[in-house]
Amino acid sequence: MDFAFSEREEMLRKTVREFAENEVTPKMGAMEETGKFPMELLKPMAELGIMGVITPPEYDGVGLGYVARTIVLEELGRVCGAMPMAVQVHHMGCAALYDFGTDAQKKKYLPALAKGETMGVVAVTDPSGGSDVVGMRTSAELKGDRYILNGRKCFITNSHTSDFWIVIARTAEGAKGLSAFIVDKDAPGAKAGHEENKLGLRGANTGELVFNDCEVPKENLLGQEGGGLAIAMKTVSETGRTGMAATALGILTAVYEEAGKFASERVLYGKPISALQGIQFLMAEIYAQLEISRLLCYRASWMKDQDMRFDTESAMAKWYACEAAANAAKKAVEIHGAYGIMKEYTVQRLLRDAMVTIPAGGTGEIGKVVLARAALAPFMKK
Amino acid sequence: MKRIIVCVKPVPDPKHWHKVSMDPVTMTLKRAGIPSIINPLDKHALEAALSVRDIRGGEVVLLSMAPPFATSNLKEGLAMGADRAVLLSDPAFAGSDTLATSLILAAGCQWIGDFDLVFLGNFSIDGSTAQVCSQLAEFLHLPNVMHVIDMKWQENDKIIIIQKIEQGYVKLEATLPVVLSVRKELNKPRYVPFTGILAAESKEIKVLSNEDLGVDSSSIGLEGSPTKMAGLELRRFERAKERLAGSIEEIVAKLADKIYQCNIS
Amino acid sequence: MSSNGCKGIWVFAEQRGGELHGVSLELLGKANELAQGIGCAVTAVLLGHNITSHAKTLVNHGADIVLVADDPLLKHYRVLPYSYVIEYLIKEYQPEVLLMGATAMGVELAPRVAAKLKTGLSAHCIDLKLDREGKLLQVVPGWEGGVIATIACPAHRPQMATVMPGIMRALSPTEKTGQIIEVKVSLTDKNLGPEVLEVKTEKPAGRPLEQAEIVVAGGWGVGNEEGWKTIEQLADVLGGSVGATRPAVDEGWVEEGQMIGQSGKTVRPTLYIAVGISGVMHHVVGMDQSKEIISINTDANADIFEVSDVIVVEDFKKVVPKLIKEIEARQKVCK
Repeated sequence: MDFAFSEREEMLRKTVREFAENEVTPKMGAMEETGKFPMELLKPMAELGIMGVITPPEYDGVGLGYVARTIVLEELGRVCGAMPMAVQVHHMGCAALYDFGTDAQKKKYLPALAKGETMGVVAVTDPSGGSDVVGMRTSAELKGDRYILNGRKCFITNSHTSDFWIVIARTAEGAKGLSAFIVDKDAPGAKAGHEENKLGLRGANTGELVFNDCEVPKENLLGQEGGGLAIAMKTVSETGRTGMAATALGILTAVYEEAGKFASERVLYGKPISALQGIQFLMAEIYAQLEISRLLCYRASWMKDQDMRFDTESAMAKWYACEAAANAAKKAVEIHGAYGIMKEYTVQRLLRDAMVTIPAGGTGEIGKVVLARAALAPFMKK
Repeated sequence: MKRIIVCVKPVPDPKHWHKVSMDPVTMTLKRAGIPSIINPLDKHALEAALSVRDIRGGEVVLLSMAPPFATSNLKEGLAMGADRAVLLSDPAFAGSDTLATSLILAAGCQWIGDFDLVFLGNFSIDGSTAQVCSQLAEFLHLPNVMHVIDMKWQENDKIIIIQKIEQGYVKLEATLPVVLSVRKELNKPRYVPFTGILAAESKEIKVLSNEDLGVDSSSIGLEGSPTKMAGLELRRFERAKERLAGSIEEIVAKLADKIYQCNIS
Repeated sequence: MSSNGCKGIWVFAEQRGGELHGVSLELLGKANELAQGIGCAVTAVLLGHNITSHAKTLVNHGADIVLVADDPLLKHYRVLPYSYVIEYLIKEYQPEVLLMGATAMGVELAPRVAAKLKTGLSAHCIDLKLDREGKLLQVVPGWEGGVIATIACPAHRPQMATVMPGIMRALSPTEKTGQIIEVKVSLTDKNLGPEVLEVKTEKPAGRPLEQAEIVVAGGWGVGNEEGWKTIEQLADVLGGSVGATRPAVDEGWVEEGQMIGQSGKTVRPTLYIAVGISGVMHHVVGMDQSKEIISINTDANADIFEVSDVIVVEDFKKVVPKLIKEIEARQKVCK
């Protein structure tokens, strides 16, 4: 076993950290205020390798895999949780295209994503769906050489910042009746609808997609007709959950640093409050939550890089890290006392950001369904 | 453009300077446990070299005189985009002052050979003598310009250089080869791209000892350095909290001294 | 006095565009103090073109001898011709000590001269002493002021140092007689290096607060708008930016854009001067990374002193106006 990061991974972390601290920090005020994603950072992030970190070099990515991706997301999230949120969903788009796209589809879309010309989106959730993926109503009907889509997608990250979306829609009844489509944002009958005003991760764009007799050329079917559920499940489980977990991990790192810094600077009773055991216990818990989350996140990513099955591990990392981030952020707010609820202080944002990671990419309960299945599998009688 | 040499100095990371202590017997600073980084201004020097290469081609070679651990700093420079690195490392170099260091670096430049430009940072954050640019140039018998904040290429390989001085600047026209040291206003160093990290893994870091360079051993190291440390005081890495006393006039004079000691350019 | 007298302490008299740099006169002041200790002459070395009139100024400020090299090729400072001339003069007269200002010119020129002569040079000295054997002890800061080293150059001559401007005291000028020696130099056969196309002087443009090298910040203790003008004057004379705490902004003395702290800007200048600032945490987090922090406050227990390098427990109204005058006086010393 080897828990150490390689020199390559350490260098990767350093460069992303420098980038995030210098380039993302100045954007954060506007991101919080307007809820807009800083599109001007797409190109610089792509030049660094962030946008194409999991995309192979043949499609203009750097192909460094999932441990590298987790480092990238963690470091971005340490500075600003909205960045890894948007970037990880972008990666979901990259992964779905790479795993299920035809050669022509990959050549057309993957380089543009890796170069930061646009952002990736995988739109699964319907107003009627959510955790009940199969309950979705957005429909696609084949008419001649094109599919006609009708319905709405909601809570879609990067909805308004992307030129095309991967959309899951119903082509037939039942679980095997879902299919995935690449929908151009300028396709007739397609539009980005309402933009959401979120509690946290405000700088990541979230909104609705609306399809009204939307025409999608037949060649834009991703994978097989009826393969939509598998595409959604694989992408959410492998890329989405590890991505949300890494986002939460980044937030946790910031929680730990903010809490530690405040506790050692704030003086009460003539001493820094870090000398008080009550504060020390909170710090101990935050620290453990951070380290446990880190282990879970990197194990899941490492398993992906080894081509191992890791749906249980990704669900565990996602559930634990997001819960831990929110829980630790609350403790950090408490350590700050009244300062903690002031907008000037970072911790209140961390608490809000952490809360948003919990339902994103699958609620904690859905995660536990996956975990329970794995937990009880050895005891199941045939 | 044939070749551009960039001198790079590993310096202790200022974030860890509070851990520095002093050995009262040898009068040296104990730096154990303090990671080293590329001297910040040297990154601007490297960026200058890379942007020259971007438009005029050539090879960018990093040159450093440092203990063997400096390979990790050089690797970062290679990941930023330099083509290869040369590390001058020999126990005989230890204790060299700027004069001896410049002599060794000059030998390193000559070993690399065939260069048109040498870039350095204007000063290092630890020693902050700002002496190596001129001394290296002297030993290379080349002209030099310090405090460079802008440069533009002319026809026939001449460079227009803007040199920052107090309250203004000097515009100079230089021909190659020339040794330049840069201020941070010159450029913004690029971030290390992921592809650069991968590429650096197969780039060469050549380590040379004085056997390879053949610098007269009486001119290097502690022995060969004309300046000697006569005293060393670890003043503070914490706040000094020095309370000024005396009449208002005395306090004002001391305050003005303190202000002038801040070395504001 | 024979030219043998030139063996003592030398000061490089820096001029640019025909104007003497103040540090040259400060160095003459220090050189006089050092020379008294060992009983030697003080020599100023003046290079340029049509600059001979400055020789008298140098004499009046304490130079016993002035070596003047006047040549059209020396009109604009350039490191190569200047270093050739100084090397020649040093080899000719063999001084014990050569001092230069740690200016843009001095930090470029001095190391080149030292390398030609293979002698030692210390940089940015903040103090100089001569011991009994005539050894120059050079006090230099390193590690951004965290370390103070004393450097000596026991076996090589001249002992060279560049000295921070503004620290040494110039002598008040008095009518004196000194020896002015014109030296002939031949530069025509030399490589003179890059050509000077233009020398431009300009007042430094105001920088945004976050990039300022000097920040003068005021707080509640500044008291009123009139007091605030003093803060602005100090920032102005130092070429720095004005910062403020939340109460000063709330009082309307200053724009919100100048606010430093948790809800304002974070600054890390080389010098931060806190005037009438108590030092509550949400201000301190915006400035405690500054390299040097000077605080002026009437409250001897003010929290700001905990993060300060230099503490003045005084009413700023007594100190700051005089400080402005003192800085102006030091800046004007040679005009």
